[in-house]
Amino acid sequence: MAGNARAQETIFALREQIAKLEGRPLPALAAAEQADLAQDPENHASRLDQPRLLLGVDAVDNALEGGLPLDGMTEIRTTLTADTGPATGFALALASQLKKQEDADAPILWMGDVVSTQEGGAPYPPGLKQFGLNPQDILYASPRKLEDALWLAETALVSGALSATIFEIRGNPKHFGLTESRRLALRAKTAGRPLFLLRHVAAEEASSASFRLLVEPAPAAGRRLPDGSVLGGSIGHPVFRLTLEKSRNPAPLSFLLEWNPHDRQFSLGPDTDRDTGEAFTHGNSPTHPGTRLSASADRQDRPKTLGSVVAFEQAS
Amino acid sequence: MRLTALDEVCERIGLKRGQGLAEARAMFPKIDVIDEDERADAALLEALADWCDRYTPLVALDGKNGLFLDITGCAHLFGGEEALLGDILKRLHHMGFDVKGVISSSPGLSWATCRFGKAGVIPEGLLEEALAPLPVNALRIGETTIASLHKLGLKRIGDLLTMPRAPLARRFGTQLLLRLDQARGANEEAISPRRPVSALSAERKLTEPVAAEDHILELTRHIATSLKSGLEARGVGGRMFELVLFRVDGRVFRITAGASQPLRDPARISALFSERLTAVHDDLDAGYGFELLRLNVLQHDTYKTTQGDFTGEGEGEISLADFIDKVSARLGVDCLQIAILRQSHVPERAMIFAPAITTPSAPEKTAFPFPFAPRTDRPLRLFRHPEEVKTFAATVPDGPPSRFRWRHVVHTVIQAEGPERIAPEWWLEETDVPERDYFRLESKAGRRFWIFREGHYNAKEDAPTWRMHGLFA
Repeated sequence: MAGNARAQETIFALREQIAKLEGRPLPALAAAEQADLAQDPENHASRLDQPRLLLGVDAVDNALEGGLPLDGMTEIRTTLTADTGPATGFALALASQLKKQEDADAPILWMGDVVSTQEGGAPYPPGLKQFGLNPQDILYASPRKLEDALWLAETALVSGALSATIFEIRGNPKHFGLTESRRLALRAKTAGRPLFLLRHVAAEEASSASFRLLVEPAPAAGRRLPDGSVLGGSIGHPVFRLTLEKSRNPAPLSFLLEWNPHDRQFSLGPDTDRDTGEAFTHGNSPTHPGTRLSASADRQDRPKTLGSVVAFEQAS
Repeated sequence: MRLTALDEVCERIGLKRGQGLAEARAMFPKIDVIDEDERADAALLEALADWCDRYTPLVALDGKNGLFLDITGCAHLFGGEEALLGDILKRLHHMGFDVKGVISSSPGLSWATCRFGKAGVIPEGLLEEALAPLPVNALRIGETTIASLHKLGLKRIGDLLTMPRAPLARRFGTQLLLRLDQARGANEEAISPRRPVSALSAERKLTEPVAAEDHILELTRHIATSLKSGLEARGVGGRMFELVLFRVDGRVFRITAGASQPLRDPARISALFSERLTAVHDDLDAGYGFELLRLNVLQHDTYKTTQGDFTGEGEGEISLADFIDKVSARLGVDCLQIAILRQSHVPERAMIFAPAITTPSAPEKTAFPFPFAPRTDRPLRLFRHPEEVKTFAATVPDGPPSRFRWRHVVHTVIQAEGPERIAPEWWLEETDVPERDYFRLESKAGRRFWIFREGHYNAKEDAPTWRMHGLFA
């Protein structure tokens, strides 16, 4: 009996440790909170109020366990260079949503990546006004090396002077591994400020981000007229096709989100007639299909062959 | 080839400057001759001038082999003029230089005495006595004037001093009298210092040299503390600081660091240099250590004094400024930028990036925050050089393309908005730039592009080019 009880205790201790690592409320505390709730509902509410960025769409917020963490790292990933636009848009929409939620003066730091700037264009502040952000609210940094960028991201998080940091990285550089991502995630946690990691043309990779979203383009609905009808032949609010790749949910969740820059809020994407099914396939086929070149900065030319593949697991 | 400089031995045995090399070799076959390297000489003199900064901020170069130091108000710091001169000469002598130095009340007299007279300090009342026995060569006048003075038997400056001025001016020009007056101190002569004088500066002399970065920073903080009262008295804070490190062997390092807001706080000033020292780490060779540290305020600005309140408000601004300073010090001023919108319709001219450190962060300082707000959507990313796009079909004359190829991928256009015609700014353009018709396109996959047609379709010319200029969300 005594041995059994000790084993139980060990298991509880381990569970608590895991819960602490994952940033969840401790199981033992959950019961106490239930008791608190009975006595003092308001206090409870404030206690549960972990810093979260609400997207304002219930289904999504539930999947994100109440929103994106404001004291952690969120990864936003694309698979193609051509998706730089939607990824940039989604990251900036999150920043704008954050500004609206917090109503703070602190600026947002945009850390650009040299290659992404060449391939996907430089950030263009005049476009921000119609996107729900004040162009003067953004500081642009262009570190030359990844080491500088990491130092800068860390300094930005530690200073606590910025409302959010958007860190652009292209691909999966060798020097940005689990250690670096863990370090940044911890910094974000201590500072209580969010870090959005914008990874262009990146493969899924283990990281310390609590959520990873894959951004793909999606057709927009037409512009809405004041009487509620849709103006034909127009391109309305931007729509993103998002896949929640990493979260505590076992299955990846895919959904369309529309960003309304005027009201600065997200809504579930439109069911457009234009959706031909073909629209969501990855890109258009190249004109001259040939062997794909490996996109291999800092990577081996091809994946190493393993022995026998039993099952593919989702990297997390 | 001629001799341009001689060492003591050669001077003693009777060689002269300007003498032909062959002649000198004929007289003394054993002499060593080294080619003159003017650039190295100049660099050496510059380095010496840098070193002399420890005595006064006003150091000027004088020709190939002289330095002027304006020691007005500095002598008492070193125990008087005699002691100052002794100190300079002693230190330079230990560095291996043969130096003569004179302190007098006018640069002209110092120059003359240094080269033709007895070195030392010339007291205020004995100017003319010191000047009179010197040859007229000591007046910094042209060769022809000297020759004609000699012809008339005017060999000493004393001869000129007693002569009536008018005939001298008539015969030899005003230059002679100007130089004479300058030497006598009757005409104020300004030296031209190498560096601008900093508004404020403080220094710390060390008996034991320091080399470690931590010590340098700690000393910087101490020096900044002594600067603080000076800054407060003027109601300013420093925007640009310079830390001057004098190494034991005479080398001088200068490190500058800027701040985005006027600074007074010693800890923050020293924090600026902590990043700078990390950045210049490899270039800063401490060697045997630094014996003198000086902190200069190169630029300052009005310091807005705000009283802190109990809630700790206003701290956010400080930490942001701190962050900007830190990053600019470490990664360079251009690393961190903010966007400034400009009044232009041409998309690439509608904004510029400016270093965050030089731009006032408070938005209200800009008179027109949005000088030009376009009515139509602008992209989130803009290509610096619009990329050419191959279109397969477009509605002629003004329509959007229905399919186009960009970077080897064909995009089928589903929706298009436009055209938005943006005419070139003829008041800026020098050549004839075609008009642009911008379209906002959405491809089948849902990507949104900003693409423009350069020029128009017409029968005479080739089809206009289409270019990709930006990406929407």
